[in-house]
Amino acid sequence: MAKDVKPTRKELMQIEDRIELSERGHGTLEKKRDGLIMEFMDILDKAQDVRGDLADDYEAAQTKINMARAMEGDVAVRGAAAALQEHPEITTESKNIMGVVVPQIESSRVSKDLGQRGYGIMGTSARIDEAAEAYEDLLESIILAAEVETAMKKMLTEIETTKRRVNALEFKLLPELYENQDYIEQKLEEQEREEIFRLKKIKEKKEQEEKEARQAEADTGSTGEVDAEQATAGGVPGGD
Amino acid sequence: MSQRQNDNRSQEIAVVGSPEFTTGFRLAGVRRFENVPDDEKPEDLDGAVTNVLEDDGVGIVVMHDDDMEHLSRSVRGEVETSVEPVVITIGTSGAGGGGLREQIKRAIGIDLMDEDADADPTET
Repeated sequence: MAKDVKPTRKELMQIEDRIELSERGHGTLEKKRDGLIMEFMDILDKAQDVRGDLADDYEAAQTKINMARAMEGDVAVRGAAAALQEHPEITTESKNIMGVVVPQIESSRVSKDLGQRGYGIMGTSARIDEAAEAYEDLLESIILAAEVETAMKKMLTEIETTKRRVNALEFKLLPELYENQDYIEQKLEEQEREEIFRLKKIKEKKEQEEKEARQAEADTGSTGEVDAEQATAGGVPGGD
Repeated sequence: MSQRQNDNRSQEIAVVGSPEFTTGFRLAGVRRFENVPDDEKPEDLDGAVTNVLEDDGVGIVVMHDDDMEHLSRSVRGEVETSVEPVVITIGTSGAGGGGLREQIKRAIGIDLMDEDADADPTET
């Protein structure tokens, strides 16, 4: 990865900006994940209570309907079930918990009195009424469980997504950015050292050249003097 | 931290299972039901569940825990993750959906629904 990066100062500045942004995002996402987990724990406690109640209500309802079947017969129970005219309905409101939209389910016409059930008072026995009442209670528990479990599912999906984002930043993006930053910094330092070395070499070379030039000049000067001396010492033959 | 808004949508509760299972709910007024006799569950339960899951008028689907075993892998996955409608499984175990438990393990990292974890460790 680091080999794909251009070792320039501009690229380094861009990477530093990205690191700053990623670190800030990582911190924020971590806080969001922790907040979601705390909210989820509250919901989980509620869900476990609701689940316990649901199992109890189901068992009670089964006992009641089995009793009704035993006493009145399966046909009578089915007949009463087919005669029902009022039907339970649910309406959903949504609630936003840390960006997660969770439902709030409102129910209507779940619990009914004898007159509202529609199968008549004379034709059925108290056992069927008791079974119907037990199942109405069970429906109330089911609605509550549905609300809580939907909230749990949605929050878990959000927690998973946030966790994946945090991990991607922590273990993939940020290490790569740090690696690129180190690579560019090393390359830039290396380039700087090379530049200093190059300048030093040039300076040395220049000094050497100057020294040689001076030497050559000095040599030329001394040779000229020797020639002049020789010329003076030899004189013009027969000049006296 | 939380805001509310009203969706104003009226939906029904649906029940899927054997006639013995659905009768009680019909007694409580549930009119959307799919009767699948026990011996036909391996073939017909998938279709019945898919029907109610695709029905926009259904907000909650009720099933028995044991019936989950008769569902195909894909439908079971859909049931476990479906939010609209939400599927509630009931049974004597009271443990809830296995899918939810798996999702908790995956998202949080520990099995928070483990009943043994809550139990007194000194008990034998």
